[in-house]
Amino acid sequence: MSIVEHFTFNFIENKRWQFIVTGLENTLIISFFAVILGIALGFLIAIIRSSHDKNGNFKFLNIICKIYLTVIRGTPMMVQLLIIYFVIFGSVNISKVLVGILAFGFNSAAYVAEIVRSGIMSIDSGQFEAGRSLGFNFRQTMFFIIIPQAFKNVLPALANEFIVLLKETSISGYIGLMDLTRGGDIIRSQTYEALFPLLAVAVIYLIIVCFLTYLVGRLERRLRNNER
Amino acid sequence: MSANAKIGEVLIDIQGLKKAFRDNLVLDGITTQIRRGEVVAIIGPSGCGKSTFLRSLNLLEIPTGGKIFFEGMDITDKSVDENKMRQKIGMVFQQFNLFPHLTIKKNIMLAPVHLGLMDKEQASVRADELLKRIGLSEKAQQYPAMLSGGQKQRVAIARSLAMNPDVMLFDEPTSALDPEMVGEVLELMKELADDGMTMVVVTHEMGFAREVATRVLFIDEGNIKEEAEPEQFFSNPSNPRLRDFLSRVL
Repeated sequence: MSIVEHFTFNFIENKRWQFIVTGLENTLIISFFAVILGIALGFLIAIIRSSHDKNGNFKFLNIICKIYLTVIRGTPMMVQLLIIYFVIFGSVNISKVLVGILAFGFNSAAYVAEIVRSGIMSIDSGQFEAGRSLGFNFRQTMFFIIIPQAFKNVLPALANEFIVLLKETSISGYIGLMDLTRGGDIIRSQTYEALFPLLAVAVIYLIIVCFLTYLVGRLERRLRNNER
Repeated sequence: MSANAKIGEVLIDIQGLKKAFRDNLVLDGITTQIRRGEVVAIIGPSGCGKSTFLRSLNLLEIPTGGKIFFEGMDITDKSVDENKMRQKIGMVFQQFNLFPHLTIKKNIMLAPVHLGLMDKEQASVRADELLKRIGLSEKAQQYPAMLSGGQKQRVAIARSLAMNPDVMLFDEPTSALDPEMVGEVLELMKELADDGMTMVVVTHEMGFAREVATRVLFIDEGNIKEEAEPEQFFSNPSNPRLRDFLSRVL
């Protein structure tokens, strides 16, 4: 068979390209909402943790956050996904995409939290004092002065975390969810040809990651306009 | 002695102020009053507690003993709203601490707008006024990284002034500056003093203390060892440690 024939056989025949498209759709949905969940929860944990480190607030919440970070970062993503699907939501009928969003979002939050916390702690304490001395309370100082600077500093690390998250969704197949990887794999199981479906999947991941990297680069340049 | 004529009621009343970091007693029962219109210079050897004293006045350091009354209110009382109190006490830092992610003008506008003292337009007008006063109108839209040290410190002073404070605290405002930039900052501070601003200044600039201050404090080993008008303070110091200190710095 020629290359064209291989291509037709793997993707056009029986509209097998639909596996790829549906899988890609699920991968993007899961990644997008998991990133949002990860940012929201991650920033919250980071603020609680650094607020505790700076002035001893939230003693109880800080302990909860620490346990959360230890458990999430100390166990494999795949085990977490399986536990959430088969144990926590084992007895209820729930959309697998939603399970994916929750599992990847909760996982990502732990990493986002530590990245953002390191960003907050890296801001000179004089910035904090300047904010407080003007009459801002802790929350206002965080919001207007510390977070905007911390965010800029950790943007590359955050972008990296989201790229990792996108690629990690490829284990979604383990709960029978058809993501991009599983879509390609289904084609492989039908055609008994591994090269084309898997190559297609890899190229699509690569394109998405390159696009994301490009977007983050532009954002970084825009945020850097206050430096000399 | 024209400056003394403007001195009014007690603004800050410090009673037996103590501050300890663990076992290390930094302030050992300081008692003094700051009156409206006064310019109080604080000098002393490094590590004597003069910065800690200044930072206690707006509770950047929490006192471990004694009381501080600001405009009659005991600010060491936990029930006092420290944020409201700090709005009336401007502070200028050695390291400027401008907000690097905001333009010069936004640095000045940030606090008055978000603390609800002015709307955006009022704050903008006020910022323009202040920038004109410090001679940096053309820098309004630039970021702090583009300014020299002296310019940064002048903006930091303007940022404090935007809140219309009743008193300004200066924590070694010229110590981080190149020598040729010290003058422009001291000149601005002198103008403020002439306008009647109440100021407490921790400084190593003996010339400033002598010419601008209405009173000079010498702090050593956590306490005020000498306190006098500059004339007498520098020409006729009675404390032997002060005499020793002055002989090394003058």
